[in-house]
Amino acid sequence: MAQTTAMLEIAEADLLGPRQAARLRRRRRNRSGDRRGIILRTLIAVVVAAVVVFPLYWMLVVAFSPRGEVFEPGLRLWPSTFTLENFVKVFDRVPVVDWFGNSVVIGVFVTAFTVVVNLLAGYAFARLRFAGRNGIFLLALSTMMIPVQAIMVAQFKLVTGLGIYGTYWGVILPAAAAAFGIFLARQFFISIPDEIIEAARIDGAGHLRIFMQVVLPLCKPLIAVLTLLTLMGSWNDFAWPLIALKDNDLFTLPIGLLYLKNQTSPDYNAIMALALISVLPMVLLFLFFQRYFVQGFARSGIK
Amino acid sequence: MKLSSKRMLGAAAVVTAGSLVLTGCAGFGGGGEEGGDQALTFTTWGSEAEEASFTELIDQFEAEHDGAEVKLNVVPYDQMFSNIDAQLSSGDAPDLFRVDYGNLGVYSSQGQLLDLSPYFDNAEVDEFVPAMWEAVSYEGVPYGVPHQTDVSAVLVNTAMVEQAGIDPSTLPQTQEDAWTWQEFADVAEQLRASLPADKYPFVYNWQLGGAPRWLSWLFQADGTFLDGSTATIDSAEGEQALDFTKSFFENDWVPPTSSTKGTVYADSLFTEGTAAMAFIGSFLVPDVDYLAEFEWTAIPMPRDVRGATDLGGNALVATKDTDNPDLAAEFLKFMTSADAMSLFCANTNELPTRLDLEGDAVQFVIRPDVMPVFVDQAATIEPSDVKQLTSPAMAAVNTALQDQLEAAFIGGQSTADTLSNLSAAIEEAAQ
Amino acid sequence: MTTLTARGRGHATASSRPRAARRTARLRESLVGWGFAAPNLVLMTLFLFIPIVWALILSLQETKGFGDPEWVGVDNYAKLVGDPVFWQSLANTIVFTIATVPIELAGGLGLAVLLNSVLPARGVFRTIIVLPMVISGVASGMIAVILFYESNGLLNKVLTAIGLGPVAWQSQGVPAMISVVIAAIWLRIGFNMIIYLAGLQNISPELYEAARIDGASRWQQFRSVTVPLVGPSTFFLLIMNVIASFQVFDLIFVMTGGGPGNATSVLVTYAYRNGFQIREQGYGAAIGIVILVITLAFTFIQWKTSRTRDLAE
Repeated sequence: MAQTTAMLEIAEADLLGPRQAARLRRRRRNRSGDRRGIILRTLIAVVVAAVVVFPLYWMLVVAFSPRGEVFEPGLRLWPSTFTLENFVKVFDRVPVVDWFGNSVVIGVFVTAFTVVVNLLAGYAFARLRFAGRNGIFLLALSTMMIPVQAIMVAQFKLVTGLGIYGTYWGVILPAAAAAFGIFLARQFFISIPDEIIEAARIDGAGHLRIFMQVVLPLCKPLIAVLTLLTLMGSWNDFAWPLIALKDNDLFTLPIGLLYLKNQTSPDYNAIMALALISVLPMVLLFLFFQRYFVQGFARSGIK
Repeated sequence: MKLSSKRMLGAAAVVTAGSLVLTGCAGFGGGGEEGGDQALTFTTWGSEAEEASFTELIDQFEAEHDGAEVKLNVVPYDQMFSNIDAQLSSGDAPDLFRVDYGNLGVYSSQGQLLDLSPYFDNAEVDEFVPAMWEAVSYEGVPYGVPHQTDVSAVLVNTAMVEQAGIDPSTLPQTQEDAWTWQEFADVAEQLRASLPADKYPFVYNWQLGGAPRWLSWLFQADGTFLDGSTATIDSAEGEQALDFTKSFFENDWVPPTSSTKGTVYADSLFTEGTAAMAFIGSFLVPDVDYLAEFEWTAIPMPRDVRGATDLGGNALVATKDTDNPDLAAEFLKFMTSADAMSLFCANTNELPTRLDLEGDAVQFVIRPDVMPVFVDQAATIEPSDVKQLTSPAMAAVNTALQDQLEAAFIGGQSTADTLSNLSAAIEEAAQ
Repeated sequence: MTTLTARGRGHATASSRPRAARRTARLRESLVGWGFAAPNLVLMTLFLFIPIVWALILSLQETKGFGDPEWVGVDNYAKLVGDPVFWQSLANTIVFTIATVPIELAGGLGLAVLLNSVLPARGVFRTIIVLPMVISGVASGMIAVILFYESNGLLNKVLTAIGLGPVAWQSQGVPAMISVVIAAIWLRIGFNMIIYLAGLQNISPELYEAARIDGASRWQQFRSVTVPLVGPSTFFLLIMNVIASFQVFDLIFVMTGGGPGNATSVLVTYAYRNGFQIREQGYGAAIGIVILVITLAFTFIQWKTSRTRDLAE
C-alpha cells in the first residue's frame, strides 16, 4: 500500500515536472484558506471516481456471487454469500490456463518484435539519412490509424495463404506490423544530443555499434513505454485474434470470454470470473508502472 | 523510480517460458496434422452437457479403436462457420465437424464433404428416421449423419399462469389437445391482463440465429416458403403467420428485447421470471432446470391448420479431403450407433434420429417427465418441411429472416413489404 | 508531434574529408539506414500494404469464403449506394462520434481542471479515472451487458427504484445507442484527462494571477485563459477521439451486435458481419475500402494540423 501511494506521488510529480510541482506547493501554502472550495472539489472528485470505478466493482460482485443471483428481482449491491464457485467452474470447464498462457506468449512475442523493429526503424528515420527516407516515413505515418476492419478480409486471406492461419504467428506477425511505435521511437531519438553520437563516431564506432552501445542504454524509458503499451494492446486485442485463431486451446483470453458468452443460456457469473482473470494482469501492470503508461498515452495518443 | 529492466526482462522470460511449456508450443506449428496416421480432428460448438458427452464418447471410441486419436476442438458459435470456411478454403479443414441442417446444404452443394454412400448400406440407412436421412442428403447422396435433433415446445411457469386464473391441470399435454392459435391468443391475453407491465405472457426463441424458427408458424398455417427455386412465402398463409407473430409485439405479449436480432435469449427471460411461458428447445431443459427457482412444465406448441415445430439439431460430417476417410466414417457410424446416440441424447435432453430410439427408448437424465412432450412434438415435422429447411439456400434465408422479421416486429415494416422482401431474398438465395 | 523537422542535420558538414570518401560514407549511411528500417518495412509491406491492395481487388469480386471468386467489377460499390443498412451504419457511426466526442472533450477538460487543483489524494483520483483505459473492450462490453441488461439488470433496477422506470436498453434503438456511448465514454475519458492535464501544466500561473487582479471570476478565468490555452490539446484530442469513435468495434460487437434492428450497426461491425458472418467477403472488403478512405482523410487532417500544433507549442 505504501508503495502504491509512493508510485502515485511519483506519477504526479512526473506529470507536473519538478518546477511546477514546487510552484504548486507554494501555492498550496499561500491559499490554504480556500477550505470550502477544497471540500466541494473533493466531493465532486469522489462522486466521479465512484461512478468510474463502479463497473469494475460490479464485475467483482458478479464474479463472487452465486450463479444467477444478480438477475434475480430485487436490488442487491453485494453478494448474498461470497463464493468461489464461478472460478471453480471456469477452471473446471474451460482451459483457462492455456488461454492465459496463449495471451502471454502472443503478448510477449508481439511486444518483442514490435519493440525491436520499431526501435531500429525509429533510429533510422531519426538519425540516418538515406534515399527515400521521408517518403517512406510518410507512408508509414499514413497507415498508423487504419483499423483492422478495413482490411481484415484481405489480411485473413493472406494469413490463410501463408499457412499461418490458426497459429500464434497468424496473430503475432500482423500485430507486429503496426507503425505507432516508430513515431514514439523517432521522437525520442531526435531528442538525443548530437554530441553524444558525434563523440562515438569520432571514436570510430560504426552505426550498429553506436546504436547498440551508446543509444540503446539511453532509451530505457522509451523501451518501457513501448513495451507496456504494445503488451497492453496485444493483451486486449479482440477483433484480429477472433478472425485468426481457430482452435480452442490456442484462444486468447478475450476470445475465451466470447466463447463463454456464446453458450446457450450464458453464465454471466462465470463470464465475470474469467473477465476478472483477464483484466487483472493489466490492472496490476498499470498500478506499478503508471508513469510509463501515462507518458505513453500522452505521447502516442493511442486508444 | 528506476526500472530494473533486467529484472523485468527476466520475469517476462520466465512467464513466457512457463506459458510455452504449458501450451506445449503447439501454437507455433503450421496447423498441420498432429498425432499419428490414425488421428482425426473434430471441430464443434456446444453446450456444457454436449461438450461433456462428446468427450465421453470420444474416449470410448479411442478405447475401441486401437491407435485412433480424436482431437476435439470446441469453438464459439459466432466463429464456427467462418472458422470452417477458412480451413476449407486453405485446404486445412478438420476431418470432422458438426453442422446444423441448414448450413450442411451450403457445404454439400459445394462439394466440400465426404460422400458417405460407400460406408452405409441400405439396412444401416433404414435405421434412421427417413426425414432426417433426407436432411443430410443432397441430390440423393448422403454427406453426413443426422446426429440429433431438437424441437421446440412451450415451457410454462405454473405459478405465473395460475395467478392469471389458468388452472395448470387444464394445460394441454398431447398433440391432440394442443392449443389452437386462437386459444393460445386467449391465454396470452389473459396473462397480459394479470401480469405487471415488466412481465410478459411468453417469449419466442428466434434469437441468436434462430430466425428460421419463425417458419414453424408458417408451417402451422400450412404455408411454405420454397418450392424448388421459387419463393412461395408471399402468400395468404405467409400473411397470416406474419400478422399473428407481429401481434406478439404489438400486444406486448413478448418482451420487446426478444426480437430476432435480440441479444437476450428466450431461456434467460424465462428462468429469470420475466416471461410466463417460453418456446424453447429441449436441449435447454438442463439449463432451465438448473436456473429456474420455480415449478415449470412443458406443453405442446400451438397448432393452426396443422401442428409444426422447428427442425433443430445437427449433423456430423466428414470433409472430402480428410486423410482418413475410413476412420472418419467409422467415427460417424460410432457416434450414431444406438448406444452412443442414446447416451448423448440422454445427457443433453436432445432427441434421437434413429427409429429404434423413438418413443420412450432414451432415458433422459434431467426432467424425464417433460420430455415426452418434445418427443411427441417432433412427430409434427413433415418431409416437405425438412426439404425446405435443408435446402442450400437456408443459410442466406436465415440472414434474410433475421433482418426482415426484426424490421417487421420492431421496425414498423408492413406485412406486405416484409413478405415481398423475404420473397425476393429467398428467390435470390435459391438461384 | 510527428513532424519531419529532424534535428541534427548539421553534423556532416564539419567534415573535411575528400569528396569520394564522403560519397562512400553517405552511401554506407544510406545502406545502414535501409538496413535499420528493413525489418519494419518488410512487416508493413507484407501485412499492411499488400492487404490494402488485396482488399481493393477483393472489393471487385464476389466471393463466398470458399470456392472460386467471381469478378464483378464495381458491383459491390453500386450495391453499397443502394444498401440502406450501409447508409444506416454510416449514419450510426457519425451519430456515435457526435455523441461521444464532445462529452469526452468537455469531461476530460473538466476532470483535468478538477484534478489539477488543490485536492487531497489527487493521485488516487487520477489513477482511478485513467484505470478503465487498460481494461479490454471485450471485458468492458461484458460488464456493460450485465449492467444494462434490460429485464433485470442493475441499472434498470435502480432506475425503477427511484421512479424513473426501466429503460429499453436492449430493445430500442436510441437507448441501445446511448448505452454504447456511455460505455465508450467510460473507457476513454481518462485519456482525454491525461492530455488536458499535460496541456494545463504548460499554462503559466501568472496568467491566472493577472486575470484575478483584473477581477475575473473563476468561470471567466476558465473561459478566457484555460480554454484558449489548451486549444492545441483540444485539437489533438478531437482528431484522436473522432478516429477512435469511428473504429469502435469490441464494445458494439459484445454489447448489441449492431442491434436492435440495425440501430447500433456501425461501419466496422457491418464490414465484419459481411466478411465473416454471412459469407459476403467481397462486399465486406468494399465496406473496408470505404473505412480506409475515411480513415486516411482523417489521418491527413491530423498530419497537416499537427505541424502547426508543434509550431504553436
